[in-house]
Amino acid sequence: MPAREGTYGLLAEFDTPSDLVRAARKAHQDGWRRLDCYTPYPVEEAAEAIGFHRNKVPLVTLIGGLMGGAAMFAMETWISVVAYPLNIAGRPTYSWPAFVVPAYEWTILWAGLSAAFGMLALNRLPALYHPLFNAPNFRDGATTDKFFLCLEALDPKFDLLETKQYLQSFAPVSVVEVEY
Amino acid sequence: MAHETHAATHARTLPADLGAPSFVDSWKTRAVLVGVIFSVIAALLAFADGSIDHFLRAWVLGLMLTFGFAVGGLALLMVQYVSGGKWGLLLRRPLEAMSRTLPLVFVYWVVSAIFMKKLYLWALYPTASDTTAALKAGLINEIQAHCLDFKRPMLNPVTYVWVSLLCFAIWAFYTWRLNSLGIQRDSDSPANTPVWIKKLENISGPGIVVYSLTMTAGAIYWVMSMDPTWYSSVYGFLFLVGQGYQVLAFSIIVALSLSKNEPFKTLLRQTEQHDLGKFTFAFVMLNIYIAFGQFLIIWSGNLPDEIPWYLDRIRGHWGIIITLDFIFHWVIPFSLLLSRDIKRNKKRLIRVCQWMIFAKAFDLFWLIEPNYKDAARNLHFSWGILEYTAVPIAMTAFWVAFFCTRLKTRPLVQTNDPHLAEILEPEHVHA
Repeated sequence: MPAREGTYGLLAEFDTPSDLVRAARKAHQDGWRRLDCYTPYPVEEAAEAIGFHRNKVPLVTLIGGLMGGAAMFAMETWISVVAYPLNIAGRPTYSWPAFVVPAYEWTILWAGLSAAFGMLALNRLPALYHPLFNAPNFRDGATTDKFFLCLEALDPKFDLLETKQYLQSFAPVSVVEVEY
Repeated sequence: MAHETHAATHARTLPADLGAPSFVDSWKTRAVLVGVIFSVIAALLAFADGSIDHFLRAWVLGLMLTFGFAVGGLALLMVQYVSGGKWGLLLRRPLEAMSRTLPLVFVYWVVSAIFMKKLYLWALYPTASDTTAALKAGLINEIQAHCLDFKRPMLNPVTYVWVSLLCFAIWAFYTWRLNSLGIQRDSDSPANTPVWIKKLENISGPGIVVYSLTMTAGAIYWVMSMDPTWYSSVYGFLFLVGQGYQVLAFSIIVALSLSKNEPFKTLLRQTEQHDLGKFTFAFVMLNIYIAFGQFLIIWSGNLPDEIPWYLDRIRGHWGIIITLDFIFHWVIPFSLLLSRDIKRNKKRLIRVCQWMIFAKAFDLFWLIEPNYKDAARNLHFSWGILEYTAVPIAMTAFWVAFFCTRLKTRPLVQTNDPHLAEILEPEHVHA
């Protein structure tokens, strides 16, 4: 991607999640699509307000879990039946009850790893740079006690002056312009 | 300030009338009707079968199911006092109502105690000479005779009655204590709330331990001792987890059904519904974990005094029942509750919870019926076996009717609780 220049977007700061959700909902209703919310903890209503209803993490987790369970069960079967069959207390070599526990553990392990790494990959993390960190109030507040709405310049509705006024109508603490 | 007024428009107000909505009465009427119809069916089946053996076995199933709701409800009431949480406030009054159904469960138990000779071998042969005579007549085998004699200090009618009465007395004490304090707390000033929270915590904490012990005694005497030869140290815990499973399912059905009208319409947020769904999911998992753990340990040990209990429940077509049990009890609720959408959808979550209660009853059928000589390793049709549908449905229906009357006696939410303000806040205020 070529280096971008100019304005990334306008960042409005709010003190409460209610104000953020209200503003985000209105902006989405008014046709804004290149916008995002930033909160110190997960605020599900904010995600829903900007039309972000689903993500693929559950699917990735399910597939990972099923793969883990199947892989371990297949491995145990192969070891016990084909590769190194042992007579254990006269039981059949294919003794499925004994295979269940490790297969279960691998299901959990793989589901957990898939959830964690799938989430990071779908979030395009780790990212070395994000323009929003140019805004001092974002650096200080986004991970502690502030709630942000960013309307991005890529949206066709974006106009530096009009959008600034539009954001002011939500009575935010501040509206700042963010550079790339 | 502008922000405060915006936040205020989001917060909801508590409705003036906190009583149970009037449709609870129609639930009661419907439950009584179902109870009567299935009582008639149960009586007809007993005539068709020509004996009350299966009627009584099915009665124990109904007893364990309603006992699970009543005493399991008491246990979850204590758990929520100890753990805190907004879901606890939401379920507190329904759980209190469940715990106050104990008298009906006691009546159910009395019936099973009266007919104990038909249910338990140790009641039929209460002395050493009885077992010797029965062994000579070929009515019991050597292992049974040995176990009956060896376990007699514990498994005899007198101890059975006294232990059961003691357990009921203890449960009645906790039910009375928690219910009366729960109502006193509401009339006290909010300044004393921290004292009340501590007080109820201090009763509930030890109460959970006492419940675990007494409930284990109940499970051992009422169900496990149907087969005097077998024992499992995880048996009580299996019933404990099973009670969590069925109580959560029932509580969710009650809370979501109540939300059609005030006050639960205002009180029930999707956040708490989702939390309860996740909590239930955990119990579905724990339940199969314990059940499979018990099987795996006995399978690994492969000892002649332990495995017959499983063989009785696998061979002779019982394999079909245990496979279905696994699917009904775990695969279906587990797969459905994985979905976030189902947990957040009232109608679908209610369906899953109804299914779970059916699955619990199905599991109890698999636990109870193969204890008897005519059914062990021999699943076969008789008119009597249909009692397992009629009797528990009738008993549970009457229990539900009684529960509805209990639910009507109190406001549906405790007002003197700091969680109340939180539960009235909009969903996005807290993560």
